[in-house]
Amino acid sequence: MSQAASNAALGLSQSPALASGFQFPSIHNFPPFYTLQPTASTWNNQADLWGTIIMRYYRHHRLYQLDLDDSLTNEQLFNNQRINRKLKPEAIQAIVDEMVKKGDAEWDATSQKRRAIIYWRKPEDWAAMISSWVFESGLNNSILTYYEIAHGENSEDQEFYNIHATVLQKTMDVLVKRGVAATFQGANFEEMGVKFFNAGA
Amino acid sequence: MGSSASKGAKITAHDRAILDLKVQRDKLKQYNKRLDTVIVKEHTLAKAHLAKGEKKRALLALRRKKFQEGLLEKTLLQMTNLDELTFSIEQALVEKQVFEGLAAGNQVLKELHKEMSLSDVEKLMDETAESIAYQNEIDEILSMRLSVAEEEDIERELDELAAEKTRTMLPDVPQASDQERNAAILEAARDQEQGDQGAPENVVSKKTHIGNQRMRNEAMLA
Repeated sequence: MSQAASNAALGLSQSPALASGFQFPSIHNFPPFYTLQPTASTWNNQADLWGTIIMRYYRHHRLYQLDLDDSLTNEQLFNNQRINRKLKPEAIQAIVDEMVKKGDAEWDATSQKRRAIIYWRKPEDWAAMISSWVFESGLNNSILTYYEIAHGENSEDQEFYNIHATVLQKTMDVLVKRGVAATFQGANFEEMGVKFFNAGA
Repeated sequence: MGSSASKGAKITAHDRAILDLKVQRDKLKQYNKRLDTVIVKEHTLAKAHLAKGEKKRALLALRRKKFQEGLLEKTLLQMTNLDELTFSIEQALVEKQVFEGLAAGNQVLKELHKEMSLSDVEKLMDETAESIAYQNEIDEILSMRLSVAEEEDIERELDELAAEKTRTMLPDVPQASDQERNAAILEAARDQEQGDQGAPENVVSKKTHIGNQRMRNEAMLA
């Protein structure tokens, strides 16, 4: 009850669910929400709410990359046909900029702010998840390909199944920095690999 | 950075070889996935052609499907080979580690043995046996020396110690004046008289005894 109440206060109470089972909060149907607010404090609040909605939406649909040129993926997220409002690409950019400041997103350096990774889970959390999976499957001291971790049969039931290549790389960077793994350099994602050490426990 | 330096040291040529094998396997896996989808597509295509009455096209699609199924089987076999090879390498690496472990253990054992020669151990054991025998002798002599009388003394001392211990454990008796004490005794005697007729002399004698004691104490104080 108190959760619902606080959500309502934040404008995050639920509205009817999508076919995918995702429910947008009621503020998603609030027309001014689709216009960048000129007052700094209102804008901060707006960017926060949008950030939360994007994270929830991406987490629910297991999406990793937000692409401004891919209108199909985010059709329902930024284009509300019920109230005939649409979030403009510049507005999305400004919101993602705010998310980047908080560490919830990261622009693809080569994309000139057209593509960004949404971190609905931090690389540190992925790292903990993957290293405990490695430990439990007895894969310490063995060599795994990135492809195997992200798309292999052994990880099919894991939350990181189909993880985005960039996110996986960031996760591996965390593990390498901690000294529990070493990565192999490869020409592309398919040729990348990692060796987990016994210290991974 | 330090991590990149250790990275080079920790990844060996063996590791690289295993990775290459696994990369190959991944590529085959992806190729298989592609073949799978193509096969399904050809199958639906054949069905659609047949529904439209285009038997020749349906046959062509089925033939293509057959060919791709052959390819799939071949790649599956190749994948099994790759997997087996990878497993063999990993197994060999584990065996090598076991061997290294055994060799290290053997080395330690050898060094320990070097530190204790057989003759030294024998000599030590002889000396130990001698010491034990000597100790036994001392024990025997000491226990023989204690006569019966001494044993009794010891027993008595033990009893005294025990008695002292119980005394200190008793609570302090409250100090009562002689008058009060006498009154209490008389009362107790009376109570007893009612219940049991035979005891008054006893109480009286106790009383006179206490009186005598008091007199004696006073005399000593004077």
